[in-house]
Amino acid sequence: MRISRISLWLVPLTSHEAYYMAAGKACDTVETVVIALDTDDGRTGWGEVCPIPHYLPAYSRGVAPAVTELSSVLLGTDPIGPEAVTARMEAWLPGHPYAKSAVDIALWDLLGQAAGLPLYALLGGQRANELPLYYSITCIAPDEMARIALEAQNAGIEQFQVKLGADANWEADVARLVQVREAVGLGPLVYGDWNCGSTSLEATRVGRAVRDLDVMLEQPCASIDDCARVRSATGLPMKLDENAHDMASLLEGHRLGCMDAVAVKLSKFGGLSAARRVRDLCAHLGAKMCVEDTWGSDITTAACLHLGASTDPNYVLNVCDLSGYVAPRLAPDGPVRQNGTIAPPEGPGLGVTPDRAALGAPDLILD
Amino acid sequence: MKITRLSVFHKNLPLKDPYWLSGGRLRFDVLDATFVKVETDTGLVGWGEGTPWGHTYVPAYGPGIRAGLQIMAPVILGLDPRKTGLVERAMDTCLPGHLYAKSPVDMACWDIAGQAAGISIADMLGGRHPEGTWIASSVSSGAPDYMMGIVQTYRDLGYRVHSVKVGGDIEADITRIRHLEEQRLPDERILYDVNRAWTRREASIVMNAVGDLGITVEQPCESLDDIAALRSVTTAPISVDESLVTLQDAARIARDGIADVFNIKLNRVGGLTKACRIRDMALAHGIQMYIMATGGSVLADTEAAHLAQTIPAEFRLGGWSCQEMLTVDVAPGRGARNIDGQLSVTDAPGLDVAPDEDSLGAPIAVYEG
Repeated sequence: MRISRISLWLVPLTSHEAYYMAAGKACDTVETVVIALDTDDGRTGWGEVCPIPHYLPAYSRGVAPAVTELSSVLLGTDPIGPEAVTARMEAWLPGHPYAKSAVDIALWDLLGQAAGLPLYALLGGQRANELPLYYSITCIAPDEMARIALEAQNAGIEQFQVKLGADANWEADVARLVQVREAVGLGPLVYGDWNCGSTSLEATRVGRAVRDLDVMLEQPCASIDDCARVRSATGLPMKLDENAHDMASLLEGHRLGCMDAVAVKLSKFGGLSAARRVRDLCAHLGAKMCVEDTWGSDITTAACLHLGASTDPNYVLNVCDLSGYVAPRLAPDGPVRQNGTIAPPEGPGLGVTPDRAALGAPDLILD
Repeated sequence: MKITRLSVFHKNLPLKDPYWLSGGRLRFDVLDATFVKVETDTGLVGWGEGTPWGHTYVPAYGPGIRAGLQIMAPVILGLDPRKTGLVERAMDTCLPGHLYAKSPVDMACWDIAGQAAGISIADMLGGRHPEGTWIASSVSSGAPDYMMGIVQTYRDLGYRVHSVKVGGDIEADITRIRHLEEQRLPDERILYDVNRAWTRREASIVMNAVGDLGITVEQPCESLDDIAALRSVTTAPISVDESLVTLQDAARIARDGIADVFNIKLNRVGGLTKACRIRDMALAHGIQMYIMATGGSVLADTEAAHLAQTIPAEFRLGGWSCQEMLTVDVAPGRGARNIDGQLSVTDAPGLDVAPDEDSLGAPIAVYEG
């Protein structure tokens, strides 16, 4: 089997509800990048990456130039055995993991199709079927956020990520955590996420004001050192996201004791190949994982669910049905949430069938 | 003053001799250069250049610069180019990371700021010291006599600083280093550049085997963690190159004593604005420096020469003149040129070199607003 053609589409994804984070970051309509790797024996492997603008060192318009640069490695290559191919990609173009992530997912899709197995089987075997979802609550007025939390809880959600810091008002952030905690009652997981937008001082004030409550804090500050200070000053458990992006930073977060949980976003690390290694390390370090990606639709979601389903459930914090947050759907047969959980697709490879006709003419074809 | 237009030019700069990166990381014979022309409502024009050293060396490649400029252009247009910190902030907010795409814009803004003030970039960045900067030669790895022949060729051209590539078979590396040190002249400086090619074990063996010679080794292993580990089992001074990207890296190296020398490559660290902070971190900790372009034409060399000449001579170990490796010259006779093995900048305003625009061809993108 050889890769004979690379097609790439830029598809705007519109959020059902606009989504606000600290420091002016927002998610309204975001461009996702869809990649199809066609092979000479008639298969197609699908990949996707959807960077959120201004969020991580990644942008959707950076994907096509990188994939073009990588095409000399990919075209004519046997896709079976993704890590052999990704090693060659890394040698040809260092860095730019987000662009490689989409390609890597497509390589895994082809591997699964060739093997006739769903990816969770190839990633270690199915450890869970129903995976817990979290619901991310946009940073608006505290009582509105509590109302949204309750709505999500009525739909079966038991984990709530409370976005903080958008109005740079630490007392409002305290109210957000208190009111969401009260609204959902004891039991469900509640965590407040600044997306790097706070300082250790403000985050510590918030954390100390809610330290009697059962809450976790997420990525308050821009550096691991700052997050570790908040962790030790508040005594509250902490989740890392933006700062945890490679093996070295995961080890550092663990060493500093501020990584009770961590976001394993495929595109931070470079796709399923890299995220699988990360998954194994995090389980070893005892960090619970949110297996997801920055943003995206059905292809990204399917990839995350396969990795999540093949991970020791003791270390799965949650997963995210990104495809449920946005329109359009890319694959009509993509999985949907039921009662706060979601299951991976069952078919070979990713197990989703993107509607190629609906995507229209590719924005880039390399062959 | 406002930026009214950004014009982006793509030009291939052929190398006189093909280049092999150490560690078998592919051969290339042309550099992919991006030139950026920044125009303002006052008529002042600034030039920037971004030329990565191939696409396999560090995470930087020419098409990535041009894609990044497309994203950032809307937030750059309308800004005052003299306010380089505000331009930096706008670019960093618009596009996290991708420092290599930002550096040409930063360079052009400093060019304009200097012209507007009537003083050179070196003076804008703190003041130009009188001494020029020694140019480091680039000696590729091979048999000891072959390498010594290259050193001699450079000697005859006036060079006193050599960057000697090692990082192959460790027994051969030990032989190479001993051979070159025996023949090194008293006023010569040799930097042994490994370009990350050794493992921790290999690095410790070589560095301890030549520990009596007092040589300096550049970027012996892949990461700062590797070099920090190496530090505890070796004594040779270490220069950090590829692993020095952000001010946070510089702070860690300085605080933890990971290295003794910084090699600041302007395109990699995101341009002059960010490089100055790294320079200051070095000076505050007694760390000496090499200042270089990642690659490119006389424009990139001149930018680096400006920053280099703000550093007191005793902290300035050398620079580089990539322009001499190219078959084309975009600004013949202008900018910082090799004179007796040194690059120097004048006190003329700004960068003091602009390319012949005709030699760049038509711009591949023009952003206006």
